[in-house]
Amino acid sequence: MAILSLQNVSKEYTSDRQSVRALDGVTLDVAGGEFVALVGRSGCGKSTLLHLAGVMDFPTSGTVGIEGQPTSDLSDAQQTLLRREKIGFVFQSFQLLHTLTVQENVELPLQLAGKAGARELAIERLQWVELDGLGARYPLQLSGGQMQRVAIARALAHSPRILLADEPTGNLDTTTGGMILELLLRLTREQKTATIVATHSLEATSVCDTLVKLRDGRVEEVTRR
Amino acid sequence: MPRWKLFYRVMMRPLFREPVRLGLMVLAVGLGVAVVLAIELAGNAAAGSFHSSMESLAGDNDLEVVAWGGVPEALMGTLATLPYPLRISPRMEDFAVDTRTRETVPLIGLDLIAEGSRYASETDASNVNSKYKATLEKSVRDLENPESVWISASLGKRTGERISLLINDRVLDCVVRGVFPSTSGNEHAILMDIAGAQRALNRFGRVDRILIKLPANSTVEDWQKKLSSVLPPGVEVRLEGTGTEENRKMLAAFRWNLRLLSYIALVVGAFLIYSTISVSVVRRRSEIGIVRALGAERRDVLAAFLGEAACLGLAGALMGLPLGRIMAGGAVKLMAATVESLYVSSRPGAIALTPYSLALALLIGVGMAVVSALSPAREAMQVSPVDAMAQGRREYVARAHKGRDLAIAAVLAGLAALAAQMPAFRGKPFFGYLAAVLLIAAAAYAMPALVNFISRTAAGVLGKLFGVEAMLASRSLAASLRRTSVLVGALATAVAMMVSVGIMVGSFRQTVVSWMNHQLPADLYLRPAGNAASDRHPTISMELVETIAKLPGVAAVDRLRAYEISYDGMPATLASADLRVLRAYRESDFFSGRPTGEVLAELRGKNNIIVSEPFTYKHKVNTGDTITLSLGEARASFQIVDIYYDYASERGYILMDRDVLLKYLPDETPTNLAVFLVPDAKVAEVRKAIQEVAAGHRILIFSDRDLRTEAVRIFDRTFAITYALEAVAVVVGVMGIAGALIALVIDRRRELGLLRFLGASSGQIRKMILVEAGLLGLLANLAGFVLGYFLSLILVFVINKQSFGWTIRFHWPVAVLLGALTVVYAATLVSGLYPAWVAVRLNPLEVIHEE
Ligand SMILES: Nc1ncnc2c1ncn2[C@@H]1O[C@H](COP(=O)(O)OP(=O)(O)O)[C@@H](O)[C@H]1O
Ligand SMILES: [Mg+2]
Repeated sequence: MAILSLQNVSKEYTSDRQSVRALDGVTLDVAGGEFVALVGRSGCGKSTLLHLAGVMDFPTSGTVGIEGQPTSDLSDAQQTLLRREKIGFVFQSFQLLHTLTVQENVELPLQLAGKAGARELAIERLQWVELDGLGARYPLQLSGGQMQRVAIARALAHSPRILLADEPTGNLDTTTGGMILELLLRLTREQKTATIVATHSLEATSVCDTLVKLRDGRVEEVTRR
Repeated sequence: MPRWKLFYRVMMRPLFREPVRLGLMVLAVGLGVAVVLAIELAGNAAAGSFHSSMESLAGDNDLEVVAWGGVPEALMGTLATLPYPLRISPRMEDFAVDTRTRETVPLIGLDLIAEGSRYASETDASNVNSKYKATLEKSVRDLENPESVWISASLGKRTGERISLLINDRVLDCVVRGVFPSTSGNEHAILMDIAGAQRALNRFGRVDRILIKLPANSTVEDWQKKLSSVLPPGVEVRLEGTGTEENRKMLAAFRWNLRLLSYIALVVGAFLIYSTISVSVVRRRSEIGIVRALGAERRDVLAAFLGEAACLGLAGALMGLPLGRIMAGGAVKLMAATVESLYVSSRPGAIALTPYSLALALLIGVGMAVVSALSPAREAMQVSPVDAMAQGRREYVARAHKGRDLAIAAVLAGLAALAAQMPAFRGKPFFGYLAAVLLIAAAAYAMPALVNFISRTAAGVLGKLFGVEAMLASRSLAASLRRTSVLVGALATAVAMMVSVGIMVGSFRQTVVSWMNHQLPADLYLRPAGNAASDRHPTISMELVETIAKLPGVAAVDRLRAYEISYDGMPATLASADLRVLRAYRESDFFSGRPTGEVLAELRGKNNIIVSEPFTYKHKVNTGDTITLSLGEARASFQIVDIYYDYASERGYILMDRDVLLKYLPDETPTNLAVFLVPDAKVAEVRKAIQEVAAGHRILIFSDRDLRTEAVRIFDRTFAITYALEAVAVVVGVMGIAGALIALVIDRRRELGLLRFLGASSGQIRKMILVEAGLLGLLANLAGFVLGYFLSLILVFVINKQSFGWTIRFHWPVAVLLGALTVVYAATLVSGLYPAWVAVRLNPLEVIHEE
């Protein structure tokens, strides 16, 4: 059964009396343990799709369902709850808090959700991304690849069902980027998350289960392997 | 593109994108400027304008002849028979109360026949005074009538109407014989013929002043010597208007202290400008680099940031002008009341917004802004083009040199301790002020280390107590250490001022209350009705005194007499008490610690005096010293046998035995009565009996309790203005916190957006900002409290002692302090509400947008 399902989703932005259709009738199902690569030119709607999937934004028409529940009907508090329980984000520029240690960065989503045992869980997540022992460091003392691994550990801290990564290799060199993609793939399999990675990387297209090509907000092509 | 346009685009336009913050900053500077301006304007208006109206009615004279207790009329003859072409005008000068409006008005007695004829002959040359002349000429005809008065137009009566005046303890029903134009808008005056005035005041044979006009082209000093030689030793010949000068001098310390207090809000404003420009520099680091790479010079960058500060200062000053004018209206009432109860009869003049005050407002507004911006602007100047480019995405963290700053703080604190030990300089506590300034500077330097230490230690504790939001809040404050320190410094300075002045006033109040508890041993006190002032001494009729002394239940009546004198160029009060009256004193109030009875016994019948503590500081005298006083036409020496604590007036007091004073000034009428009752008499009954026998007189009767309540009321009124000044400083500090939190929210918008992605609710974001506000408030209260305690020591034991000469015992006004700190703390929390709202409304998708 699909954990994440988009049904005929459209998103329009209206600014300065001009309206931009960022997504146009997108339908997509992602199952647990499935790794989806989202590709397309800059401005084609990748980030928009991830925001809708991550309950940070809502469709103009169509429905986004998470484990069968449409996101548009939820109250602000319920949306927050959904994000806390089910969704993990990874960003292009890592977005770690420089005032917190690596360990504390990973603990953060758990603490925001008021979960107990944040410390132990965070240590375990850091083992998943092979950064055990670096918990006491501050993000600025790490390399780019290490920072992105911390971000992945943080995204998985609360065992989300959905993992969303927006160009996670965009700020990394090809080799490091490749390692990050392999890590994401491995964790998707281990944790059975529904994973969508927006990317330009050719490597992503070769390792993914499903390749979705977007063009001007429409799904141009879906390739399943 | 013209430079100013570039300046506008790069520097000013970004400010307008945060209108609330900009508004808060301008308002903060405006309030600082307004307070300084208000105190300046109000001070000018409140200072002794009664005397200026007396002086303006005095005409153009060169010298005046005065003697304490009055100049014998016989001296008029002495002066008139001298073979010199002098113009001599005698004066009676006192006060009357208009019974309808209850206003105190100067009462001036002059030789109307002589002055009238003089005006008649002078006015041919100028017709300016023609109205005055006509009035006076007609008036001369009415002179025979003893109840004829001529009044200033400002009193609102017409010729022929009646006006009833309270003079000493009697009401006199007078006829207005003429009205003369008021010298300026609201300066009242009542004129009488000098003989009529003597009769009304019940003072015969003496006049208060003789004014002398010298022949043209003569040296005043020569004449002063020449005239002194023919007059008795106790009579002084001095420059006309010296009295007004002396009053100004006496008021100088009072005005100085208020003026300095008024600068506190400005100092807090300076911190805020510093913080605003620092934020502006940090935010625009990469822009500065780019502009530098494009060819801007270092001094262009410096000028741009100083210009930004100057614009803020200018806007603040422009806002402060009308605000200051409005505040001055309130301040002048409070100040005038204080001046009158502590120093000298006064009637607030008009508040004049002069070009000087306009210039002052602009100068302090812009000047303060530019000076506070110097350091951050210089830092901006240091940014090199490469520097900014190399920054990349990494945030620039403002440097804070905690260790070095802490060392500087220690040195400054040491200097402050040294300065506090220094004596007064020319009667002003310059070193006391210096110590206070050094201490505030020391605190400013110690702030980064303190904030760092506390917010880091607090992070763990707060995290446990208030959750992850509190942990994030304290981390973010510690991370922007320099900015946080400046903010905490600003509010802490305001809080410190509040605490120190609170402790000073509280200690003072407690000292006064306990002093009064063993000060007032009599059962009832009497004085003539009318508004009390420390330099007016209306008298009580003798026959009333005799009657009261014979009433059943009255054991004894102490006749107190006070004269307004000048000693060594400063106004003072000379008083005598009837030492034959036995009294039971509760405790010693003397420096020597000896029992009161023992000290007073030394005064009986001898030329021995006791003086008040402020007197000794003003004139640098001590127990055992001998001072010479001019009394009537004689000069006599008196030995100081002890010094007593006195908190009733800042004027110096000299007290001697009534019998001794009567030898020099034989006027028996007392100015106050202290009535002692027989042991089982009922106070209320005796009071009623006195009221009955005093039916024809206007006197006020106070019980011991009334008098104390009244004294405390006056005390509180006196310090109302200092509370108002502190409140403004705190408001400025809190507004700074609000403005800075807005900036902090804007600068951390990426982080706040990210937290939403990570599952933070809007409530958690709000809580985080409020905890930050609360933490800032806590730090500021804590630092402010400690700094305030040390400042209060300087205020109580150095500044107050050196400028007013009062020994104050230290006392913690716990309730007041707790209340004030709670209010400040609550205010900082409230100031976080708007920034919290801004933080919650941020769109996470926009703020986290990445390319
Ligand atoms: N908040 C917004 N307001 C207006 N238009 C937007 C907004 N966010 C995205 N867009 C537009 O929607 C389209 C898709 O953007 P985005 O999803 O960011 O593309 P991608 O991530 O694939 O580069 C673009 O044309 C972009 O300009
Ligand atoms: Mg994108």
